[in-house]
Amino acid sequence: MNKLKQLLLSFIIIFISFNINAGASDDVKTSSDDYETSTFDDEIYDPLEGINRAIFGFNNVADKVILEPAAKGYKKLPSPVQSGIGNFIKNLKLPLVAVNQLLQGQGKNAAESTGRFLVNSTIGIFGLIDVADDLGLEQKEEDFGQTLATWGVGDGFYVVLPLFGPSNVRDTTGMVMTMMTDPVNAYAVNQGESWAIPLRTAANAVDQRSKIIDEVNALRDNSVDYYAAVRSSYYQNRKAAIMNTDDDILTPLPLISIEFE
Amino acid sequence: MYFLRTFTVLLLFLFPINAEANEVKSWLKKEIDKIIYAYQNDGLPNENKFLMIEQTINNNFAGSGIAKFVAGKSWNGASKDTKLEYIKLFKRHLALSISSMMQGYSNQNYDLTYSSYDERNKVTLINMEVFSNTGSIQVTWRVKKSKERFFIIDLLVADISLVVTKRSEFNSMLKTVNYNLGEFNNILSAQNDSSYQKLIN
Repeated sequence: MNKLKQLLLSFIIIFISFNINAGASDDVKTSSDDYETSTFDDEIYDPLEGINRAIFGFNNVADKVILEPAAKGYKKLPSPVQSGIGNFIKNLKLPLVAVNQLLQGQGKNAAESTGRFLVNSTIGIFGLIDVADDLGLEQKEEDFGQTLATWGVGDGFYVVLPLFGPSNVRDTTGMVMTMMTDPVNAYAVNQGESWAIPLRTAANAVDQRSKIIDEVNALRDNSVDYYAAVRSSYYQNRKAAIMNTDDDILTPLPLISIEFE
Repeated sequence: MYFLRTFTVLLLFLFPINAEANEVKSWLKKEIDKIIYAYQNDGLPNENKFLMIEQTINNNFAGSGIAKFVAGKSWNGASKDTKLEYIKLFKRHLALSISSMMQGYSNQNYDLTYSSYDERNKVTLINMEVFSNTGSIQVTWRVKKSKERFFIIDLLVADISLVVTKRSEFNSMLKTVNYNLGEFNNILSAQNDSSYQKLIN
């Protein structure tokens, strides 16, 4: 009972801090005379920049030493094996994706995700084969961070989490909520197989990293400030995910003159 | 009758847009193929490959306009010579960034899948799907027409704009030198040298 009280108290504290931090996040100013580009947030609210940079440095080393080599090794596996692992991991996320779609009022998408989960878990042999995709049940991602954003919760400040990488207060809370409510994790704990949770997290990290080896290297090798480049990329990517922009026309367009080319 | 008139007007309105989108698509395909050809040409030393790619990028990107946008508020206070030096360095930086990214795509198949026209901003968007063994990644090219020529004004990889990212990254570094573009040029030049060495080796 005490644990439940502590948990509730933590949630209340986190939610109060949202309002404070979300407000601060909205205070970020941009210059209005910089070539009509004031719609772009040049400065993301990052009051912990010093600490964040230190953690980012640590994560970068961990990536170079552990994650990138693991991802490169994973890429050498036969394609069907890679696809099978990727599909299996994605399938395990679907129950919570469906819950978040419901919480965001996306009834049709929630039904599709549920359908995907049922089809892939049965016909698709525990999710190893993505049969649902061929049936037109498209994979869509939604998480608690996106749900909170849809409910009007602000970003809060930017944080870099050890090993987990870039995030913000809202998305970190979303991540904690995911960890606590994930039915697959709960089942593993219930069965006394808690070791499966970090294994799943690590497998997911390697699978995701293997898909962006070239892009990350291009960014890392060509950035005057890699930290700022990752921070900006994170915010753009999350913004698109929250807005569910399939259409790139909705992504802000830089006002660029080409008169003097 | 009213329906027919509306339909005809719509058709007349949409046809030129669609024709331009297709024109942009075939132009872009030609230019992307030039870059991929440079990478796939095993007989060429890496330095020459990069020179070919740099030339293609400089010819087709709105490099000066992007440079100006990315510099943000530091642009106003800089002298003409500093600006010219910055534009030269930025164009090389852009070429290095794009060729580094395209290097990874050179052995993969791609398809220019969809194009649309943003009427409000007069920008054509071309989606490029790059296929790997286990999936695909989407790259969107934003193209603008000027003086009967097409220019690429931005590139989006998985909803992340290259130009917006560069602006944010440069702004962070410019802040450390009090938005002095001249001082920033030294940082950019050093970064270009390091990127170039990584690319050709």
